[in-house]
Amino acid sequence: MSQGDIAAIFQGAVVTVTLSFIGILIGLPIGLGLALLRWAKVPIVANIVALYVSVLRATPLVTLLLLLFFALPNIGIPIGPTSAAILALVMNTSAFNCEVWRAALADFPKDQYEAAQSVGMRAGQRFRRIVLPQIIQVSLPGLVNEMSLLIKVTPVLAVVGVVDITRAAVRIGAQTYEPLPPFLVAIAIYAPIVFALVSLQRWIERRQSAAQVMP
Amino acid sequence: MTSTEKVLDVVGVSKRFGDVEVLSDVSFQVDKGETVCLLGPSGSGKSTLLRCINWLERPDAGQIYLSGKQVGISNAGIVMNDRELSELRTHIGMVFQHFALWPHLTVLQNVMEAPVYAQRRPRQEVRDEALALLSKVGLFEKRDAFPARLSGGQKQRVGIARALAMRPDLLLFDEPTSALDPELVGEVLTVMRDLAREGMTMVVVTHEMGFARDAATRVLFLDRGRVVETGSPERFFADPETERAQQFLQRFAVANAAGRH
Amino acid sequence: MIHDFGIVWSERGLLLTGLANTTILSVLAAIVSLALGILLTPALMSRHPLIAGMARTFVDGMRCIPFLLFAYIVYYGLPSLGLRFDNWSSGLVALMIYNTAYMAEIMRGAWAAQPREPIEAGIAFGLSEFRLFRRIILPPLLLSAGPVIGNQMIQIIKDSAFLTIIALPELTHAASSIQSRRYVPFAAFITAVFLYWGLCLVIEAAVSSIGRIADARR
Repeated sequence: MSQGDIAAIFQGAVVTVTLSFIGILIGLPIGLGLALLRWAKVPIVANIVALYVSVLRATPLVTLLLLLFFALPNIGIPIGPTSAAILALVMNTSAFNCEVWRAALADFPKDQYEAAQSVGMRAGQRFRRIVLPQIIQVSLPGLVNEMSLLIKVTPVLAVVGVVDITRAAVRIGAQTYEPLPPFLVAIAIYAPIVFALVSLQRWIERRQSAAQVMP
Repeated sequence: MTSTEKVLDVVGVSKRFGDVEVLSDVSFQVDKGETVCLLGPSGSGKSTLLRCINWLERPDAGQIYLSGKQVGISNAGIVMNDRELSELRTHIGMVFQHFALWPHLTVLQNVMEAPVYAQRRPRQEVRDEALALLSKVGLFEKRDAFPARLSGGQKQRVGIARALAMRPDLLLFDEPTSALDPELVGEVLTVMRDLAREGMTMVVVTHEMGFARDAATRVLFLDRGRVVETGSPERFFADPETERAQQFLQRFAVANAAGRH
Repeated sequence: MIHDFGIVWSERGLLLTGLANTTILSVLAAIVSLALGILLTPALMSRHPLIAGMARTFVDGMRCIPFLLFAYIVYYGLPSLGLRFDNWSSGLVALMIYNTAYMAEIMRGAWAAQPREPIEAGIAFGLSEFRLFRRIILPPLLLSAGPVIGNQMIQIIKDSAFLTIIALPELTHAASSIQSRRYVPFAAFITAVFLYWGLCLVIEAAVSSIGRIADARR
């Protein structure tokens, strides 16, 4: 592998990391928003959200991506590969995040919320000061897990022409007729990132169970 | 030590959960400085009635007035929005059976939270008052501790301080000692007795007959959603009029004899 | 729009073939990876440091890389070592090996959560190792791991869609083909989405009924 090849893979890495980062960043609050709509039992909307989340969690990212990339221009909304990629990632990850947030909200002790109501805190204050800090803590392992899943799914973006680490590796292999070395470089980039996230998740889980054991 | 200023006026309140009529046409009034105890067997609707007062439960029928202002229904006659209801709730304090402290905040922060955020009072003033309240309930040393480190009795005293920090016109107690180990009940009842003696207007749902007998200015006996009997504690405990009240008190006499208190 | 769905309906043969391929791929991969995973679990928990180390490296390794990358390695990379698979075999092998790691980890977690007494009772009663495993250990293990295995199955179905990139004629590939030939992108892919959703609901229903059997036995 030449230096130029390695540079190409690192360019792919920039694409992977950037798109993953954007997907995670936007997907977190949207997932929370969806979960809140269901928690607040907003009529009709809550049911639509439930359906949306169920379908999106069952849909492979590649199918969703192709749908967005080809169908949106067809109904008059032009969309490029990068935008389609980000949109697909966000839709996908927000659906999974929604379930994580929802579990935390469902487990939230009702009497703490009633206490906040009884002292006259308004809905926004109740949520910001009492609910949110605690559900963030509870949701953290699940959300970090979802982040590592998102990164593992990014190679699929190549179907619409986005050149990520994996696509760059495939290209180089096709050009040099030595497919394995670039793949090994790709592994060397993915593995530490995912491993770091998984370790982070385990660390958070251990810290939380320790905190519960303490009197 | 009561005046004839009506703090609470409950008129014809009814509430059903599904098929079950939990409250039927309940009416009573509480004057300033009174301590009213709601007594009755489980399922009699006492807690539901209490929770209707600050609209944690919405009554299906009837009206509730706090110092003349209707709870839950605005002047225009429509249901209050969250802002209006919250404003009104700042005048009513509530103490919960399972304390309901906020675990991510320290004791002091728990007490300061609502006056600062819901009432928008200046932080320094709130802090001074909060520390004074914590001293009053005997928990000044624990001000920077997190609730997880406190005993049940300590948590409940924090809960009382938190409710008092709002300077409420009315204090509601929802079985404040039912979740406590017996040896911790006394410290909470002491605080409550002091509050009653100082003229706080209180409505207390409780099974602690000793407290009701000593500290209440009036007791209401509920059975299956209706106010069956009402009167002074002396008269109620010594000579209950209705049969259901008599049965109820007999059960407690037996429990007493078994040496609980 | 209705017209578009009419076109998709006329191509339903292709879609159903794709659906069948997805189903076959996923079911085969699930069964084999579960079986291999169960065999790998004891190695994972072994007290022999070398065996446990190798198993742990394999499991962690698979779980740290993207499935598509692994599929590419099998399809594009192995030929340079002399192992040539066609796209079907590559896809199937990749799915099986990749998910063996996940299944092994799932079973390890389920095993750790199992109560010890029934097994000790079995040993005390003199059951042979094989019988012990088959009748006392395995059934409750599978029942308690049911939901997580079901989740993994859904994951396998979704991973199978990635194989469209190596031109494996599964469901997404069929939808793609219809889309590119007949210009009905929305209808084609939405139909595929709902077919995937349907598969997912079937698995969730199966997991629920297993859960009910488990509860009835408790």
